[in-house]
Amino acid sequence: MISLEALTEQLANHILSWDMPEPARLDVRLVPQNLLPIINDLYQLRWGYLAAITGLDHGPETSEMEVLYHFCAAADVLTLRVHIPRENAALPSICSILPYAGVFERELSEMFGVIMYGAPDDSRLFLPDDWPEGVYPLRKDAKEPEDD
Amino acid sequence: MLKDTWQENLNRIRLWAQTRSPWLIHFNTGSCNGCDIEILATLTPRYDVERFGIKLQGSPRHADILICTGPVTRQSRDRLRRIYEQMPEPKYVIAVGSCAISGGVFHDCYNVVGHIDEVIPVDVYVPGCPPRPEAIIHGIVQLLAKMEAITQEGSQVD
Repeated sequence: MISLEALTEQLANHILSWDMPEPARLDVRLVPQNLLPIINDLYQLRWGYLAAITGLDHGPETSEMEVLYHFCAAADVLTLRVHIPRENAALPSICSILPYAGVFERELSEMFGVIMYGAPDDSRLFLPDDWPEGVYPLRKDAKEPEDD
Repeated sequence: MLKDTWQENLNRIRLWAQTRSPWLIHFNTGSCNGCDIEILATLTPRYDVERFGIKLQGSPRHADILICTGPVTRQSRDRLRRIYEQMPEPKYVIAVGSCAISGGVFHDCYNVVGHIDEVIPVDVYVPGCPPRPEAIIHGIVQLLAKMEAITQEGSQVD
């Protein structure tokens, strides 16, 4: 298996910057356009598996959000950090390469209001049936829906 | 109003049947499963409450006591109401665990309505996170005493 250091060279074309905050952890920053190519590269390299997708809302004052794709291989963790705007937040779906990413993407999309382009299924996953449209509970400025 | 002997005798038989063999239905309204595991421990052979006639039922239509765990989530609120309404009178509710009593650690969560008695009336509260099986048995015994008191007063005649 390719080490994390070697991985930075393999992926060099697609990334903005990288950082190793701890042993066995690699954080990679990239622009949304490079998300599909980089995931395709990882898939071709057969490096690890997608363990989780994290959403980070930096709050209304920054007008920025982050989406983190965590890949694991044994003790190594690779995190792809994608910055997107809070308004009209959208990303391409990675289901075309990794079909099992669907559940993570559906949760991200209902909790943070990130639109997943090209997702095979964009229905809700966990929110209650009577949850109002357009309310994303894990956003910093989310308002709780009124109780009836 | 004067009660006739027929009604009084029926009440006596009903009380006898209820307090000596209360059938439970267990509903998880959004619990972390900690309390559910303790309820299972209460029912299974180590504590063995079946020797007192206490038995878990699959259908609310056959149950006397609804035993609820967890805070009420938005999704489970209507289902809890519907299960309660399906139970035949007289019916009783036990709220098991901190979350069922107050919402517990989930009290301000975006999809949580609150505690059980915001949705249906509760007769006995069993605190703990999770309560031990002994505490749950104690709660049921308290409820049986309450049932007896209610029926003897005759106020429960519906």
